[in-house]
Amino acid sequence: MKSMYLRINPFLTASLILLAGCDDHKLKQPREDVAKTSSEESSRDGREIDREFARTLAREFGREFAREFARQLAEGNQSIAVPTIASAGTVDETLEKGEFVNANGRAHPLIAHCSEDVLEFYSKHPDAFSIENTSAIPADLEWEDGSDESEFASPKAKKGGTWNVFMSDFPRTLRTIGPDANGAFRSYLLDYNALSLVMPHPNSDGYYPGLAKSWAVGKDGKTVFFQLDPDARYSDGNPVRASDFLFTFYFMRSKHVQAPWYNDFYGKDKFLKVTLYDEKTLSIKFYKAKPDVVERVSLRPIPEHFYIELDGEFLKKYQWKPEPTTGPYVALPENIDKGKSVTLVRQKDWWANQKKFHRYRFNPDRIHVTVIRDYNKAFEIFLKGGIDMFGLAKTEFWYEKIPDEHPLVVNGYLTKLTFFNQIPPPSYAMRINSQKPPLDNKDARIGLHHAMNFDLILKKIFRGDYVRMNTMADGYGARSHPTLRAREFSVEKATEYFAKAGYSKRGPDGILVNKKGERLSVEVMTGYKHYEDVLVVLKEEAKKAGLELKLKILERTAAWKTAGEKNHQVVFSAFNSFVELFPRFWEPYHSDNAYEETGDSKFEADGSLKPNLTTKPSTNNFTQTAVREIDHLIDLYRPEEDLGKITEMAHQLSTMIHDHGVYVPAWKKPWLRVGHWNWVKFPEDWGPKETRDYEEFQVFWIEESAKDKILKAQKEGKPVAEKPTVRVYEKYKNN
Amino acid sequence: MIRKPSLNPITRKKLQRFRSIKRGYWSFLLLFFLFGFSLLGELFVNKRALLVWHEGELFFPTYGSQIAGKTFGLDYEYETNYRELKRKFQEDDSSHWVLMPPVPYDPFEMDYAKEDSTGFSPPSLADGHFCGTDKTERDVLARLLYGFRIAMIFSFGYLILIYIIAICAGCLMGYFGGKTDILGLRLVEIWANVPFLYMVIILVSVMPGWWGIGWQVASLLFIMVLFSWTGMTYYVRAAVYKEKARDYVAAARVLGASPFRVIFRHLLPNVISTLVTFAPFTVAAAISSITALDFLGYGLPAPTPSWGELLKQGVSNLRIAPWIVISTVSALVLTLTLVTFVGEAVREAFDPKKFSTYE
Repeated sequence: MKSMYLRINPFLTASLILLAGCDDHKLKQPREDVAKTSSEESSRDGREIDREFARTLAREFGREFAREFARQLAEGNQSIAVPTIASAGTVDETLEKGEFVNANGRAHPLIAHCSEDVLEFYSKHPDAFSIENTSAIPADLEWEDGSDESEFASPKAKKGGTWNVFMSDFPRTLRTIGPDANGAFRSYLLDYNALSLVMPHPNSDGYYPGLAKSWAVGKDGKTVFFQLDPDARYSDGNPVRASDFLFTFYFMRSKHVQAPWYNDFYGKDKFLKVTLYDEKTLSIKFYKAKPDVVERVSLRPIPEHFYIELDGEFLKKYQWKPEPTTGPYVALPENIDKGKSVTLVRQKDWWANQKKFHRYRFNPDRIHVTVIRDYNKAFEIFLKGGIDMFGLAKTEFWYEKIPDEHPLVVNGYLTKLTFFNQIPPPSYAMRINSQKPPLDNKDARIGLHHAMNFDLILKKIFRGDYVRMNTMADGYGARSHPTLRAREFSVEKATEYFAKAGYSKRGPDGILVNKKGERLSVEVMTGYKHYEDVLVVLKEEAKKAGLELKLKILERTAAWKTAGEKNHQVVFSAFNSFVELFPRFWEPYHSDNAYEETGDSKFEADGSLKPNLTTKPSTNNFTQTAVREIDHLIDLYRPEEDLGKITEMAHQLSTMIHDHGVYVPAWKKPWLRVGHWNWVKFPEDWGPKETRDYEEFQVFWIEESAKDKILKAQKEGKPVAEKPTVRVYEKYKNN
Repeated sequence: MIRKPSLNPITRKKLQRFRSIKRGYWSFLLLFFLFGFSLLGELFVNKRALLVWHEGELFFPTYGSQIAGKTFGLDYEYETNYRELKRKFQEDDSSHWVLMPPVPYDPFEMDYAKEDSTGFSPPSLADGHFCGTDKTERDVLARLLYGFRIAMIFSFGYLILIYIIAICAGCLMGYFGGKTDILGLRLVEIWANVPFLYMVIILVSVMPGWWGIGWQVASLLFIMVLFSWTGMTYYVRAAVYKEKARDYVAAARVLGASPFRVIFRHLLPNVISTLVTFAPFTVAAAISSITALDFLGYGLPAPTPSWGELLKQGVSNLRIAPWIVISTVSALVLTLTLVTFVGEAVREAFDPKKFSTYE
């Protein structure tokens, strides 16, 4: 269980995503006031001032300053901290280790191609970036290269053909970062395409090589050494250099890219140090010796030669200029039909064409992504053969719109398949805001748990295909609590708990009232219009327990805004949990994410909350959980490095959160359901076990001859298979 | 002195003429009947029983508070499921009985009684689902009927509010003329250019959630009125302009009548006949806009029964549940046709060419 998404699509990982046909969600990004950032300011002014001149001036000044500094130092003024640039002031011409620029302003050969701004950035952060001699690499490292892992693609795969898919909206940019870049199309540029240093193996707990041909974890458990594949190059022919990984930090932390999330993600607090040893060797030091440190630091390089001028014009300049990629598919400007489609073309001479783990993947010659705005229309086009594959997770699609008896399936033109996968499910749940009455009372919350008839939903709306989620951390292997179960629907138990909370009498409409005459009425808010029917059923069933649910179904952005401001009573939502070794508790359950007051200062001596605390908006603690014991355990859990202890604490936390009663787990689906035309072929097992999405690992291939055959047979009305092509792949089914 | 309300002879003549236009008149009666029927909908389409005879006592559950299952010897405290109660009484062969309405379902309740029911049951006489069920096994007929009631009440409210605003604004501009007119008309023009649909979408999404459904519906009505009253003002203004030049207005003014009195006592009755002809079309417009808004998902809050919501379900499941679209579209076409027929008849009956006398 690892997090490939963490690096190649980090934004998604933190955001609440849209599921089931709504993949274009954007989390509200905390926008920084652009005007405030000085670099932005200077770049604007830069248009009027000669920038070259300004740089020379700055360098001269810096040198002057450094000389003066060194002089003072020599005079014994030891109290002054030594800035790195001081080394530039020494007369020594040779490059010492750890030095970026020597006295003459000449850069180290490994970064000689870098622009002044970039060099300056490195020099300013000598503790975070360094250059060492190869002799500094520890000799006793255990290098791995993934050779003991097995390939997950099929040697039968054939190259060629066009893969037709659809997107619901035309991408607003071809940038992969910055405003509007987080659209669904980005997956075709990054997730399904670009390689990072090392990739987590989707069938095992190991890794397989990406851009790095071998890697090793240092003795401290925090530093990972990588040796780049000598063949690795970008689609424009330039080789991947170790210094590109240094540049990644310059790029990601730049204000010009206007991506605060990335600015923060690539921050100094997580990536302690990046060291270059030669053109192809580097090491990255993570802030903690986590068991999965390799994937945490497995970055994607940013091609420095492409972004040679990174300035305030970034957004405009790169809006429709796709970045050279290390992956097989390129989006060339001439293949973009604005507003209609984007065609990605496979590079014939892709550098990893013959590499193990990559050679049988990425098979189609072209990926043709068409804009079809309406989901139902896309489905009709799929039935006509205009799209090769379609997700059939929705019940009505699977059972009604394309039943097993559908002529296309019976005649063997089209396959319906169920593939059982093993990934942490998106956390569909009702999150109760424990701050708002009447749900600030624990008994009322637990009563609400028992009043939610999810069993009926699973049975009737999802026809028994989905299963109930049990904890807030399902799908993390041993880290998930083995025995904890979601509270069942029970009118008796619900009314019993509601009575404890003071709601014991039924009003004229059957809704419970308390002594003050207040009705037990709760507002449930959601941004998922397509789950309206689920909520409507829950509402009707909750009436039996004397609870009124008022439904508020909002636009997605409006819903997140309301929830972010913590103005909801109950929010029905889902987080996309990405493949990771252990669950996260701090973001959704630590009191520091509920109130502005930090640490234990918000609790009275007996552990209860102090009055008049300030609610903290825009965090993922949608339940406003603030329990001192949970806080303390999370504080221990986060820095823990031993997997056994992590497991134990994760179980404890799951139980505590269950007892606190703020999270009503809804459902999960342990499979992928897909329909595809039979000219699309798959490996024997269909896909690796951690497949989240049918396009993710690109193991399929297109058989052009089969396509002609099927289309011809369809025209003549003849079947191409003896029985209906309905398949189930149960190899990875969990019981 | 109280005057006996009597219609003025011209109006009486107009009404007579309306009655003589058979198509419009019968449409009016049918529409009136349908609306009346929908107001009494609880007696015909309801999950609550009309009558229950239990242990020597007669219950009328239709209106009033809900009756807990325990009252009838069932083992639960929530509202009695009368269909089950009926079955139970029949099975027990007891002297107790239940009289259910012809369609024993309400628009909110999911009929998951059958093991294999998973939504979209086709129309069935035996189950009492005459128009089938929707995705969550709610009765389509029940939703149609209650949706009709809400749409009609909504559109009458819309009509009344629009007329009040338009008459006030139009009369003010028309009667005072001059700067009032120029300024007022400019304001109306500006206001009319605010895109209606966007405003509704924006305002609906910021409505506070703690409002009850009644408030939400009312506020939707206000929002719609707020952005669509302008069209009618032009007609009122023009009509008032025309009328105020007449001698009777001058006479009233000479007698010292205040502008308020002149407008509402003298001008309005003469202007109103122009406006009446627009009324049925305004109703039709209101029904279509509320349906359209619901279809887009910006209308009445779920799970309020509404035609737009039914249409949306029907369109996205056209192949598997054609009965939803068929019944909803038929109902919509029928209603709008009736309203249009009424409108045409009213227009013809109130045609000024037939009755106006110019001095």
